[in-house]
Amino acid sequence: MIELIQVSKSYNKGKVRAVDDLTLTVEPGEIFGFLGPNGAGKTTTIKMIVGLLRPDTGRVSVEGFDVAREPLAAKQVTTYVPDTPAVYERLTGLEYLNFIGDVYGVQREARLERIGKWLEIFELSAAVANPIQSYSHGMKQKIVLTAALLPGPRVMVLDEPLVGLDPRAAHQIKEMFREHCDEGKTLFFSTHIMEVAEKLCDRIGIIHKGRLVASGTMEELRALDRREHSLEDIFLEVTGR
Amino acid sequence: MIRPAQLKTTVRAGLKANFGLSVLRHRLFREKKDRWLVPVVGLAVAGVLPALYGWVLVIKGMYEVLAPMGQERALLSLGILAGQSLILLFGIFYVIAAFYFSRDLEMLVPLPLRPAEVMTSKFAVIVINEYLTVAALVLPVVVTYGAVAKPGLGYWANAVLVYLAMPVIPLAAVSVAVVVLMRLINISRKKDALILAGSILLIVLALALQIALGKSAGGQGPAAEARAVAAFFTSPDSLLNRIGAVFPPGIWATKALAGGFGREGLANLALFLGVSAAVFVMMVAAAERLFYRGLVGLGETTGKKRRLTRDEMSRRVSSGRRAVAAIFAREWKIMNRTPIFLLNGILVVILFPALFILMTTIDPAQGGGEGDSMFLLRALTSANPLIVILATALFMVVCGSLNGTSSSAFSREGAQFWVSQVVPVPPREQVRAKFLHSYLVAVLGVVTAGIVSAVFLHLRAAHLAAAAGLALVAGVLLTAVGMIIDLARPLLDWANPQKAIKQNLNVLLAMLADIAILTALFFGVKAMMGAGWADPVVLAVLFLALAALAAGGYGALLGFADKRYPEIES
Repeated sequence: MIELIQVSKSYNKGKVRAVDDLTLTVEPGEIFGFLGPNGAGKTTTIKMIVGLLRPDTGRVSVEGFDVAREPLAAKQVTTYVPDTPAVYERLTGLEYLNFIGDVYGVQREARLERIGKWLEIFELSAAVANPIQSYSHGMKQKIVLTAALLPGPRVMVLDEPLVGLDPRAAHQIKEMFREHCDEGKTLFFSTHIMEVAEKLCDRIGIIHKGRLVASGTMEELRALDRREHSLEDIFLEVTGR
Repeated sequence: MIRPAQLKTTVRAGLKANFGLSVLRHRLFREKKDRWLVPVVGLAVAGVLPALYGWVLVIKGMYEVLAPMGQERALLSLGILAGQSLILLFGIFYVIAAFYFSRDLEMLVPLPLRPAEVMTSKFAVIVINEYLTVAALVLPVVVTYGAVAKPGLGYWANAVLVYLAMPVIPLAAVSVAVVVLMRLINISRKKDALILAGSILLIVLALALQIALGKSAGGQGPAAEARAVAAFFTSPDSLLNRIGAVFPPGIWATKALAGGFGREGLANLALFLGVSAAVFVMMVAAAERLFYRGLVGLGETTGKKRRLTRDEMSRRVSSGRRAVAAIFAREWKIMNRTPIFLLNGILVVILFPALFILMTTIDPAQGGGEGDSMFLLRALTSANPLIVILATALFMVVCGSLNGTSSSAFSREGAQFWVSQVVPVPPREQVRAKFLHSYLVAVLGVVTAGIVSAVFLHLRAAHLAAAAGLALVAGVLLTAVGMIIDLARPLLDWANPQKAIKQNLNVLLAMLADIAILTALFFGVKAMMGAGWADPVVLAVLFLALAALAAGGYGALLGFADKRYPEIES
């Protein structure tokens, strides 16, 4: 579960309001898609959830742990995939996974099983002993995803996770999303791909100029106006075309 | 070969990107974030001023000794040669990093620019860096000479031109060597190892060259020495000609300055600028042919595509280390596998004692073996045991702690710092692992310095142990100070790893802080000796004071980590 209560964040001494009084709850077992134009405040919101940024006001909690007051407990149940796969290029894929397993305290049996499973699915088994430096962009994205799945987190937060993935990997990721949430876990991700959000998400939030301008299930969003609109139309409508 | 309009645009972009003027302006005046840096830098500069003043006094003293014998122009020649030697040595690091490891190359190579235009833009950035690097060494010589000799307007005008052109010859020479080296390395699969080996080779060659120059500038036997001494007193500029004979541009630059607007001055200026231009053109030609061939594909690492067997996988998947051990292993691997970090961190602690051996064992007059400097050192170290211990400890500290490992401990993570911020490991534990890594490098320096002292100075075991004890405790303090400085303002947005360690202001600030601490300790010891305290008491008090400071510094570092980690926006 993720909870943001009246969260605001501004830059440049308050001149640029990136997130403005955002209140949002993502329930366990829910896939939440976070949409918004470039610069709307998606990444800032995500970074506040995972503790990379501190909100100016308001409270963020993950699985009931206040991110500001109990950061370690919150981090222990959360994993994060950033929008660009910046990872230690001089380590091999396996060394990076070992590092993540060690710092999250993943047991050896679980580690072996999950690493084997996701490397197989992402077709990384043959490259895992090579330095990450030698990976393509998509492979780097896959190793970051594998690392995020390794601790078996209660909450996954992903910033544009499908960018740079081939169709097969994108399909597998979407299946993983569903599998993850069917276990009662929470998944929060931002995307620009309307079709994915429309088909995959249990609920969708649209952020514009730092404010949550629409939130709900696809049906609830469609009910915002009386016409039978696609998510793309709704997006264009609420973000002012 | 080079199109001026394209070159101008590329150079301008390179300078803006490298010196971050737009970013600095934005941070200082728009975000008002880095304003605290202004007084800190001001304080650091003020701290260096007394040393600079001392340097000016030394130069003035040398001028007053040389002038009556008509040898004063040798001073200029020495200053220029020292500057160019420094440029040659630093240039190797700068050139390799800027030409082959800056991330903006990925953006520049696909643009419709000639290889020579891209390389020249990088060259311009390095030249400006070199102006800053050698300013403190060369400018006091040129300005003091000008102020004392009062040579007229021509001197100053030519001085500006000579200073501007000064880095061109050594840097262009290094650039050609590096471009050829990289062209060869790019064929191989073990590029990182070869880059490292190649860089060390270039440094050794540069050092060997300087030693060879020193040799030929010295005497070639007693008869030649006698002739040189006679010439020194009878013929003006004999010293200048002797120093400059090994590197003629040094003489041309000196004569250009001293000759001013006169015929000799202008002719030598033309010669100096002409040869600089010719060497530059040669570099451009080499760049056009070889630069991209060495560059394109350099970042590619072709791993063997081989699926690990179940057994291998089971062996390689760790069974769970403690977080401190995992972070320490990460630091160790990344440092050792990034050639620029390895060169500037660990290799410095090995190179420094090696340089010491080179400088003290090779004597110009004897062409090897043990020289006067070694004799002098032995004499010094056999005198007062307290001085022996303190000097050895200082040598160990300089070898171990005055590198950029601790003061770039956080900056080196760069864009990957987000990983450290999201993992469920308390900041103080992460910092503990980083401290262990930096301290291990310092210990390595203490050990190599200890071996050099034991083998070449034949120090007694007790003296060596006492010195090592002091150096190891001082290492804790200096490592903590370096890490606190870097944690206060980590440089995370670098595109070129060189920036994280070599061009990182934190490394400079930490060195200044270290010098300030060592100076304070020096005065403390001087006061104790002045008060007539017994040697063991002085050592014990110094050790205890250092231990207390080290414990305080380490505690402060851990406390600061808890506060600072969540504040850093990556």
